[in-house]
Amino acid sequence: MENRVRWLRLLVGIALTVVLLRVAQLQLIRGSAYRLLAERNRLRLVPEQAPRGPILDRHGRVLATTQTVFRVALIPQELEDLPSVLAHVGSVVHAPVDGLQRELERQPAPAFLPVTLVNRVPKEVAFRLEEERWRWPGLLVQADAIRHYPRGSCAAHLLGYVGQPTAEELQWLKAYGIPPRSLVGRVGLEQWLDAVLRGRDGGWMVEVNHRSRRVRVIGQRRPEAGARVVLTIDAQLQSTIEQAFGTQPGAAAVLDPRTGEVLALVSAPAFSPESFATLDTQAIRRILSDPGSPLMNRATAAAYQPGSIVKLVTAAAGLEHRLMAPATAISCAGSTTIGDRAFHCWKRDGHGPLTMPEALAHSCNVYFMQVGRSLGASRLRAALAQAGFARSTGWPLPERAGHLPERRLTEGEVALLAIGQGEIEVTVMAEAAMGGAIANGGRLMEPWVVRTVAGRPAGRPVSRGQLGWSRETIAAVRAGMVEAVRHPSGTAHRALSPDLGIAGKTGTAQTHVPGRNHGWFVGFCPVEQPRVAMAIVAEFGGSGGELPAQIGRLICESVGS
Amino acid sequence: MSTTLAPRLKWDLRLFASAAALTLIGAMAMASAGTTVHPTLAVRHAIWIGIGVAACVGIARTDAHRWMDLAAVAYGVSLALLGLVSVAGAMRLGATRWLSVSGLSLQPSEAAKLATTLLLARYLAGQPNPLPMRAVWISLALAGAPALLVFRQPDLGSATVFGAIWLGMAWVGGLSRRAVAGVAGGLLALVPLGWVLLRDYQRDRLLAFVNPHADPLGAGFSVIQSTIAIGAGQWWGRGWWAGTQTHLRFLPERHSDFIFSVIGEEWGFLGGVAVIGLLGVLLLRILRLALRVSTPEWRGVAVGIFCWVAYQAVINLGMVTGLLPVVGVPLPLVSYGGSSMVTLWIALGMLQSVHRTSLE
Repeated sequence: MENRVRWLRLLVGIALTVVLLRVAQLQLIRGSAYRLLAERNRLRLVPEQAPRGPILDRHGRVLATTQTVFRVALIPQELEDLPSVLAHVGSVVHAPVDGLQRELERQPAPAFLPVTLVNRVPKEVAFRLEEERWRWPGLLVQADAIRHYPRGSCAAHLLGYVGQPTAEELQWLKAYGIPPRSLVGRVGLEQWLDAVLRGRDGGWMVEVNHRSRRVRVIGQRRPEAGARVVLTIDAQLQSTIEQAFGTQPGAAAVLDPRTGEVLALVSAPAFSPESFATLDTQAIRRILSDPGSPLMNRATAAAYQPGSIVKLVTAAAGLEHRLMAPATAISCAGSTTIGDRAFHCWKRDGHGPLTMPEALAHSCNVYFMQVGRSLGASRLRAALAQAGFARSTGWPLPERAGHLPERRLTEGEVALLAIGQGEIEVTVMAEAAMGGAIANGGRLMEPWVVRTVAGRPAGRPVSRGQLGWSRETIAAVRAGMVEAVRHPSGTAHRALSPDLGIAGKTGTAQTHVPGRNHGWFVGFCPVEQPRVAMAIVAEFGGSGGELPAQIGRLICESVGS
Repeated sequence: MSTTLAPRLKWDLRLFASAAALTLIGAMAMASAGTTVHPTLAVRHAIWIGIGVAACVGIARTDAHRWMDLAAVAYGVSLALLGLVSVAGAMRLGATRWLSVSGLSLQPSEAAKLATTLLLARYLAGQPNPLPMRAVWISLALAGAPALLVFRQPDLGSATVFGAIWLGMAWVGGLSRRAVAGVAGGLLALVPLGWVLLRDYQRDRLLAFVNPHADPLGAGFSVIQSTIAIGAGQWWGRGWWAGTQTHLRFLPERHSDFIFSVIGEEWGFLGGVAVIGLLGVLLLRILRLALRVSTPEWRGVAVGIFCWVAYQAVINLGMVTGLLPVVGVPLPLVSYGGSSMVTLWIALGMLQSVHRTSLE
């Protein structure tokens, strides 16, 4: 009997020892890990997004801003009566209950996080739901800040858009303390100025109880709003040009020739940057699969064969090398023979004898092929490079440099290069900069677009180089450009505006598609003390004397008025 | 004075000091954790302690022979009450365990533990050693009847307490090794049947024990939060009233089954060692008493109370530390529960009465 009592004692002794060892293991060996788990249980970091800074045009018109939208969500663990909550939400937002049910089932339900029920509801609906929220436990109306572009697709390529960071970006964003929910600038200014537009996110350190209800606030860091960015863009001008393109693909760059400020930068077709900000997957898919490549910025990222606008450089180089004087007449018989091949002028029966300004005004091929032959490949190439061909303009966003042939050219190829045909490509931005240089007396200004960031000047005129043309040469080229617009049979006559002095040169570049040419217009206005310079291309848009010249006139009228 | 009183009121000091210390620790934990459950919970706990201690002192002064005669009556009454619970008991937590009498809730299963102990002690004292098979079956039936009624409430944890009391008392009373093996085998055979009889939540708890992280917000939640609370206490605890698991209510049933987790969190290893050490001292003193009393009847009472307290303590501590499945057994003298507290103190009073009567 006594033995059996001792057995009981031993048994219980062993059991209590095991428990004691277990407690020692939990508290002494793994204690710090469990302490951490307990802290994580009670502490939550609630991020508070800094509102992204607005982007304004030069006159203070809003191009991009941050807008509050409302979202209806559910907190699963606080729900008491799901069917009646769904019925209530359905009746307020006018949505079928089974649709809401499906939306709920579609989403994974992470613990203690609200599940989105309706993505965007109008403010009035949000307020109505919020007022009666106490009657529906588990219902939540959340306010989100999203990127809003009040002018739609206006200046879309320049502005770019914001989107969710990729898994790869998340890695390095985390190192900068950026919470995964925030949107990052993807392309354009949104990307380039992301750091200043973003501001600094704040957050709350809160203690929560077992139902994730806030018990008290332990710490808070206020978010710092993103900087306000003012551009050199004129939104009115930008919209006017965009409308003028209509369905025609193409691009336009408009600068102030005195400073290099970009007044408008158009690429058509455009897209709606807001589709990316609101994660409208259908719209995004439509944009990405559009054969017209609306995302491509045709003003800076695409290079086109220039055609006759090269004649401005050929003319200047001829004058600089004293191959002719402005008044020297060269006769066009409709064609010229180089080697054993005949090269035709666009006017088959010939222009007859032409001075240099007349040749520019009528864009005579024979005249400039002759000048090009006399110049030779290296002098012509040097003159083109000097004028900014195949060089970056200094534009701060991604830009193509264009192209000039570097191999040995035959005499015929040199003659074609002198009229802008063959192996030569250039961006609209580079041509606008060249137009600006002709307008301002020879300085190639770097194009820039950010005027102020948070009220502080962020850009200033920078000269990137000189055309290297004498005053007389520039005067002669300008005379040709004035004549091209003024003369009734000038190629740029459609740019003529009765009260404005407009100078311009058209180009029509043959493409690989027969009969479908790229049309160009390069010009400036007014002729005396120019305030605006521009380059316009219409992709497969026919002659430069048609739509591009008309858009040129529109720009001048818009700025002149 | 003390010399003349000494023989009549000779208290087993270590036994009552350890019981009192455990009760005090429980009351302090209740003062901290109780407010998160109900504003007056700690006060009610203190009142129950007062009633229990008063009953203990009263009973300690009585002659042990007197209430041994009442064993059969007490057993009959508690069986009747258990039957009444299943008919008219108030529904709580999906289980019917309480009997409401003019606003007071009584849990008859607690009283039934004591009554069964007394009756078993009486019955087994009259049996030869080793126990004949007939006595084994009859004693098993005596313990089984209240156990079955409690199991049907359903309260799996309390039902198994009757089994532990019976096994310990029968073992000391002369249960043959063959019979022990037979009972063990029989219980094993009952496992599949038992599984079928279990409620869904009971099954979930047992499965959650195997892998608590399979359902961390459901059945496994209690054990995970309990081990976090205990572990976070580290050496010296987070301080009285400063347990975040307790006060932010991550810890479920923190006033009753998981009170040890509150002590572990707020008093650390220090508190854990104190509770386990005091339980050890209390149990040793009860066994020491069992070896010293003069009759097998009284020895049986001491062994029965030992098994009851030891089993509940081990099962409860094993459960809150994640060593055993969650079956819902309170920690004796520490957990909240008026019926349990009063009954345990009455049992301690009886031990003192036995102790004193034996000495006379």
